[in-house]
Amino acid sequence: MEFNLLAAFFAVLTVAIYLLTNSLYLKYRKTLLNPVLASTAIIAVILVVGNIPYDTYMMGGSWIGTLLGPAVVALAVPLYKQRKLLFTNLLPIVSGIATGVVVGMASGILFTQLFRFSEELILTVLPKSLTTPVAMQVAGNLGGIPSLAAVFVMVAGFTGYIVGPALLNWLHIDSAIGRGIGLGTSAHGMGTAKAFEYGQQEASMSSVAMTLSAVFGALLGPVAAWLLLL
Amino acid sequence: MKIIHIILQLLAITGFYLIGEGVQDFFNIPLPGSIVGFLLLFAALMLKIYPLQWIDSGAHFLLAFLSLYFIPATVGVVEYGELFSGKGMLLIPIVIISTFLTMAAAGWVSQYTAKASPERKERS
Repeated sequence: MEFNLLAAFFAVLTVAIYLLTNSLYLKYRKTLLNPVLASTAIIAVILVVGNIPYDTYMMGGSWIGTLLGPAVVALAVPLYKQRKLLFTNLLPIVSGIATGVVVGMASGILFTQLFRFSEELILTVLPKSLTTPVAMQVAGNLGGIPSLAAVFVMVAGFTGYIVGPALLNWLHIDSAIGRGIGLGTSAHGMGTAKAFEYGQQEASMSSVAMTLSAVFGALLGPVAAWLLLL
Repeated sequence: MKIIHIILQLLAITGFYLIGEGVQDFFNIPLPGSIVGFLLLFAALMLKIYPLQWIDSGAHFLLAFLSLYFIPATVGVVEYGELFSGKGMLLIPIVIISTFLTMAAAGWVSQYTAKASPERKERS
């Protein structure tokens, strides 16, 4: 009973910190106030200062984590609502996303192998362009480390969010479809947030790209891992 | 009444998720069960087997807090602090450069393909 109470405490604490940082983020709109980043930092400091083992925190934390699976399923709804956009532009959308996912995974493997990282870390970096819940599951299934995978997903997201527009400009990628697919395929939800600043069409493209690249990535991940083991 | 709708729809989403996990396990599909559930739900919506309004507000509610669900996992990074003090630091620029390449490839190919096939030009 005491342990359940402790678990409930950590679950409630996580939700409370998230709601607090989320409302601060919505109010001030500063990239560094990103709720995931800020909540993670605050909770990490609490654990370190209070000398609380991660496993103890996860007794409650894992309750929240169980919502990841259903949340991935729920992504089918926004994709379904974008189906007209998807099917009228099927070829450019699918070819762009597929190329992006392949380039992302191939370059990730190439660079990590170049510096002789362990197989575990290579498989952790592999799904970095996918949306966090999918990336964590893919990394976990392949033998990578899910929580580290989430960190790399965040690095990819911030990269796309901060540097994406400059890169797109430089490459003369100036159409709604090019910008949206580029941002969504490489930087998932963060890229989609940036795409919103261009306009509704870019944002729709980006959210379609985020969802479809997660599906492609989940399909391609085991193939890439298998090639790696050859 | 709205809250009851949302709860029932969340149960439906969880149902699709559990079916996805079951199907994945039974056929040994090399995909996460959640992605199998996602594909089943998308197919059910496309084929009009399952109506959108029976899942729409539940999905909207669940996705509104999406980033909350992976915070417990990202906190797990406290266990890997030492990784980023050494050679592991290199993984950050690797991810950044790989993200550039991904964006360039995806954006360029989709823009080029869209322009090459004008009858499929983007419409909203």
